[in-house]
Amino acid sequence: MAVSPVQVGKEATGEWMFSSSCSHLCVCLGLPEQTEPPLNTPENREYLAEIMFETFNVPGLYIAVQAVLALAASWTSRQVGQRTLTGIVIDSGDGVTHAIPVAEGYVIGSCIKHIPIAGRDITFFIQQLLRDREAGIPPEQSLETAKAIKERYCYICPDIVREFAKYDSDPGKWIKQFQGINAVTKTPFHIDVGYERFLGPEIFFHPEFSNPDFMQSISDVIDEVIQSCPIDVRRPLYKNIVLSGGSTMFRDFGRRLQRDLKRTADARLRLSEELSGGRIKPKPMEVQVVTHHMQRYAVWFGGSMLASTPEFFQVCHSKKDYDEIGPSICRHNPVFGIMS
Amino acid sequence: MPAYHSSLMVPETRLVGNMALLPVKTQFKGPARGDGVDSDIIDEAIYYFKANVFFKNYEIKNEADRTLIYVTLYISECLKKLQKCSSRSQGEKEMYTLGITNFPIPGEPGFPLNAMYAKPGNKQEDETMRAYLQQLRQETGLRLCDRVFDPQTDKPSKWWLCFVKKQFMNKSLSAPGQ
Repeated sequence: MAVSPVQVGKEATGEWMFSSSCSHLCVCLGLPEQTEPPLNTPENREYLAEIMFETFNVPGLYIAVQAVLALAASWTSRQVGQRTLTGIVIDSGDGVTHAIPVAEGYVIGSCIKHIPIAGRDITFFIQQLLRDREAGIPPEQSLETAKAIKERYCYICPDIVREFAKYDSDPGKWIKQFQGINAVTKTPFHIDVGYERFLGPEIFFHPEFSNPDFMQSISDVIDEVIQSCPIDVRRPLYKNIVLSGGSTMFRDFGRRLQRDLKRTADARLRLSEELSGGRIKPKPMEVQVVTHHMQRYAVWFGGSMLASTPEFFQVCHSKKDYDEIGPSICRHNPVFGIMS
Repeated sequence: MPAYHSSLMVPETRLVGNMALLPVKTQFKGPARGDGVDSDIIDEAIYYFKANVFFKNYEIKNEADRTLIYVTLYISECLKKLQKCSSRSQGEKEMYTLGITNFPIPGEPGFPLNAMYAKPGNKQEDETMRAYLQQLRQETGLRLCDRVFDPQTDKPSKWWLCFVKKQFMNKSLSAPGQ
């Protein structure tokens, strides 16, 4: 059904346009579904519709918001009957991380927050750590070596001081070896991989390690986002924190986020209980971070899932309507998918 | 911002300036008595060093934190010297020399964190502070030699030397270039 994702950009010079976050094109039975970043303008959607119908001659088009698709992708990790389009999507790619709250399929645009820490920053930080310590890496290859190490060996630890102690007391178990090939001389080089294994991804939780201007931990940002949302939607948001994007693939990322958020939420409830003199006993906050196998391509996977439902054909805009009415039909794309 | 703080502060601790004069297990002469203490402030500082050195901001929660900060900054100085040592015996000699070098104390113009530390009130406090800080420095240098030198190669371990360029709170006890 759904075929491999093709990256389509949008650029202001006519046929090809570039969007700020990547858009994926899913071809499902010849009916494409396009995705868009949140807060996309209706005019952009019209341009997209024009390109799709005029240049590519597609039979039908549906433009979906990436965060909603990421939520749909998270349905793979739970039983049917609990499907919901309310949750907060933590989308972390190479350039920037977003925290996007979604209620009933609609993005709460005013509460979206961006965190300037993402995959690129982690790679750069690891590169610096390696440079300070290892001598064997050819300088032109240091960034790609850092990237390979990040993808293969990095994980998130619960506490950095204890982790340092573990590495110092039992180096044979924790310090790994990495072998690369010098692209010019074709000789192999070996380096040790140590503290960067857990220090790299730690910058999500301590951004000051790598960014002098930004200090807020990702768990605090997520908590702030949820607290800024309408009060009736906060508990459902805490219960459904969905990860998407390549930089959320670190082992135990979900566990650490869940632990930090639970602590913050519990402390807040405890404080309100104290301030009320014990009269108010709030129900404990259920915090759940959802991880699943398709996290890396969650947006694409969600899109392909929704596009394979029978409802998709009903909400899709057809070429016939486009020919009759024009691109303005694509300004609005109805939310669907919870019925099943 | 949660960097690692000292857990050794008790209300009876003697204060010098607004730093805690915590007991230290040491043979060196000075105001700190080290009897019966399991893990002292220097052990704490060394344990937290590798993590704390990455933090650029540090919130002082109690007076023992000020002692911790001083020892952490001094560990960075030691590593700079140990980088150039080629054997443990040389390292220990360098540490001894560094320990008795005159580093600026709180209140003096060369001290990097005068905003957070109080100047000693009178001459006697001044003497106590100098003696205590010297005692801390000497004992820290000695204990670091234990950790930094690899017993098999007798060379400083790269797993400590990689922190030489990192500056805790972007501050350093010695002037830049030393």
